[in-house]
Amino acid sequence: MLGKGGKRKFDEHEDGLEGKVVSPTDGPSKVSYTLQRQTIFNISLMKLYNHRPLTEPSLQKTVLINNMLRRIQEELKQEGSLRPMFVAASQPADPLSDNFREAQPAFSHLASPPLLPADFVSTMPLESCLTPASLLEDDTFCTSPAVQHDGPTKPPPPALQPVKDSFSSALDEIEELCPAPTSAEAVAAESAADDSKAQPGESNIHKPEGLPESRTAEPKLMDPLPGNFEITASTGFLTDLTLDDILFADIDTSMYDFDPCTSATGAASKMAPVSADELLKTLAPYSSQPVTPNQPFKMDLTELDHIMEVLVGS
Amino acid sequence: ADIISTVEFNHSGELLATGDKGGRVVIFQQEQENKSQSHSRGEYNVYSTFQSHEPEFDYLKSLEIEEKINKIRWLPQKNAAQFLLSTNDKTIKLWKISERDKRPEGYNLKEEDGRYRDPTTVTTLRVPVFRPMDLMVEASPRRIFANAHTYHINSISINSDYETYLSADDLRINLWHLEITDRSFNIVDIKPANMEELTEVITAAEFHPNSCSTFVYSSSKGTIRLCDMRASALCDRHSKLFEEPEDPSNRSFFSEIISSISDVKFSHSGRYMMTRDYLSVKIWDLNMENRPVETYQVHEYLRSKLCSLYENDCIFDKFECCWNGSDRQVEFLPLIVMTGSYNNFFRMFDRNTKRDITLEASRENNKPRTVLKPRKVCASGKRKKDEISVDSLDFNKKILHTAWHPKENIIAVATTNNLYIFQDKMN
Repeated sequence: MLGKGGKRKFDEHEDGLEGKVVSPTDGPSKVSYTLQRQTIFNISLMKLYNHRPLTEPSLQKTVLINNMLRRIQEELKQEGSLRPMFVAASQPADPLSDNFREAQPAFSHLASPPLLPADFVSTMPLESCLTPASLLEDDTFCTSPAVQHDGPTKPPPPALQPVKDSFSSALDEIEELCPAPTSAEAVAAESAADDSKAQPGESNIHKPEGLPESRTAEPKLMDPLPGNFEITASTGFLTDLTLDDILFADIDTSMYDFDPCTSATGAASKMAPVSADELLKTLAPYSSQPVTPNQPFKMDLTELDHIMEVLVGS
Repeated sequence: ADIISTVEFNHSGELLATGDKGGRVVIFQQEQENKSQSHSRGEYNVYSTFQSHEPEFDYLKSLEIEEKINKIRWLPQKNAAQFLLSTNDKTIKLWKISERDKRPEGYNLKEEDGRYRDPTTVTTLRVPVFRPMDLMVEASPRRIFANAHTYHINSISINSDYETYLSADDLRINLWHLEITDRSFNIVDIKPANMEELTEVITAAEFHPNSCSTFVYSSSKGTIRLCDMRASALCDRHSKLFEEPEDPSNRSFFSEIISSISDVKFSHSGRYMMTRDYLSVKIWDLNMENRPVETYQVHEYLRSKLCSLYENDCIFDKFECCWNGSDRQVEFLPLIVMTGSYNNFFRMFDRNTKRDITLEASRENNKPRTVLKPRKVCASGKRKKDEISVDSLDFNKKILHTAWHPKENIIAVATTNNLYIFQDKMN
C-alpha cells in the first residue's frame, strides 16, 4: 500500500515492474514483461479467492479480474503455440535461454520459484500452458518438488476452464510429438486433463474446500508490491494446513450455488479452484509431514534440467 | 458506518442530501441569506436525519445485503414537501420529507399531553386551534420498490417526465413508475445465457435531461450506449455507441480496467455528456460517437503505479464527476467539470480556458473561510517546494463523491468521513 511518506526500497525492481509499459517483443525486457505478467496473474487469482466477504463480491470487479486472467492465459497460450515445440535448454546459443540463465541469479533473491517457471516460458514452450499451474504450486506449497516427481499425483491444469481447453490442445501436441512421455508432469498433466474433461462437475465439488485456507494464508506473507518484491511463500504455509483443514473444512456452497445472482461469481470462481484444490488433495499426504519453516523453496536448476531432459528426451 | 457514499443537491440547491454506509440519510439546508451577511451565502446546517435502509440478510444465498446508500436522487418539488429516492444494492425507497411547525391545541377529549380526559369533566366545547411549535422535520417512506434486482444497483435516474425512473444494476436496467411498486419493466438486459461468458457489466445509467425516451448506460469496457425506448420494449440494441479507440502507446495489462466508466452525467442542456474512468474525464458530444470532444487527465501520474493500485484494489475505486451549476436554465453552457482524486484532492477543469486546478479538502491544511490553496502533485524528478510527490499520496483518503449547487458556485465534497462545503470567494 502506498502510504504517506513511505520510503521505497528496491527502486530498480519497482521500475522494472511498474515504470515502463513493457511490450512482449523487447528482447532483454521480455523477462520483466513476463515477470510482470506472472505477478499480475498471481494477484488476480488471489483477489478472486482470497477473501470471503459477508456480502456478495462486486460483480464488476470479478468480471474485470476474470478478463485479466483470461487475457494472460490467452497470451501464454499464443506464446506456447507460436514457438517451436522443442527448444532444448541444452542449447546455450539460444539468446533467450541465455537471458533465462542470466536473469535467474538476478531474481534469485526474490523467491525465484515463481519466476523460474515464468522464464521457462521463453525457453520451454511446452511449459507455457503448464506455467500458471506450476506457478500456483510453487507459490503456495513448499513441497512442490516432491509433487512434481510423484507419479500418480495430478498437478493442476491451468487455472481457468477456457484455458483448460488450450491446455488440452497443448497436451495433444505433446502427445503427438512424444507418444510415451515418462515424466511425472506429462503423465499427470494428461490425466488431469482427462480427469477434468471427464468429470468437471464432480471435481468441482471437491475443489473449494481447501482453497480458502491456502488462500488466506497467502496474503499474510505476501508483501505489497510497491518497491518490495519478496513474494516469500516460505515460513510455513503448510504448517497452517493440516489434513483436517483440507478434508473437513466447511464446504463453501457459494461456489456452486446456481442462483443467477451468484452464478457469475460462482462460475468464475469455479474456474481457478479446479486447479489449486486438486493440488491440495494431492498434497494432503505431504502436509502431515512436518514442514520446517526454513525449508528452502527454490527449485534447483538441476531439477529443472532433469524435468527438461525427461520431457525432451523421450 | 458514517462513511459517506453519496452526495446530491436538490433542484433548488437549498437542500443537500448525503447517504452513508450505515444506511442513513442526512439532509442539510441552506440558511436563508442574511442581508447583514452579504459577503457570504447561507451556511448549510443539518435539517433532517433518518435511517433509510437497514441491513438485510439473504437467506437463500447466506449473504448480507448492505444497507449502504449507493445513490440519492431528488424529485423536483411539487408541493410543500420534498421527495427523494434513495437506494442500496437491492431496494429503492421514495422518501417524503415534510415540515411541521404548527400543532393543534385545545382538544376537548384529550389533555395537552395526550392523556384522555374523563368525559364527565367536560362541560364546554371548544374548537382546537393551530399554534406554532418548534420546527419538526419528518421523513416517511412513501414507496418501497423492492425485489426487482438480482445484482447490485449502481444507478437511479429520474425521467424528465417526473413520473418514471430507471434503476440499473450490473446486468439489467428497469423502468419504474413512481406510483407503482409491484411492477417494473426491464428495458436493458445484458446477461449472457452462460454466465461464464460474461465479460462486461453495466456501471452507470442516466436519463436524458430533456428527452424522456432517451437514456444512456456505460459499461466496464469503456463504452456508452444511448438507447431510445421508442425503438423497442427491450432496448438491447443501442441507438448510438460511444467508444474511443484505445491508444496503442498506452496499452498495458490494465487498459481494460482503467477504461471502465465509473460515472456518466448529462450536461444540463443534454447536448453533452461526461464520463469518468479511472484516470480521466471525457466530454462527449452526443452527435459524435467515435471519440470524445475533450479529455482531461485527472491524475495521469498514477499510470505508472497501476500494478500497485491493482493489488491494493484502488484501481476499482469509482470516482464520480459533476458539471457546474448555472443561474440560467436556458442556453446553458457547461463550463467547469469537477471530480475527485486521492489524498483528499479534488480537481476542476475549466473547459473554456483549459486550465485546471487541484484543491484539497482537509481540516489540517485549510482554515475555515480561507481561500483554498492550489495543490500540485509532482510525478517524478525533483520535487519543488509545496509539491507532493506521488509516493506520499494517501490512497486511503479518496474523494469519490462531489456535487455542485445547481445555481450557485457552491460545491460539496465528501471525503471518507467528512463533508466539506466550499463556495467561491465573493467580494
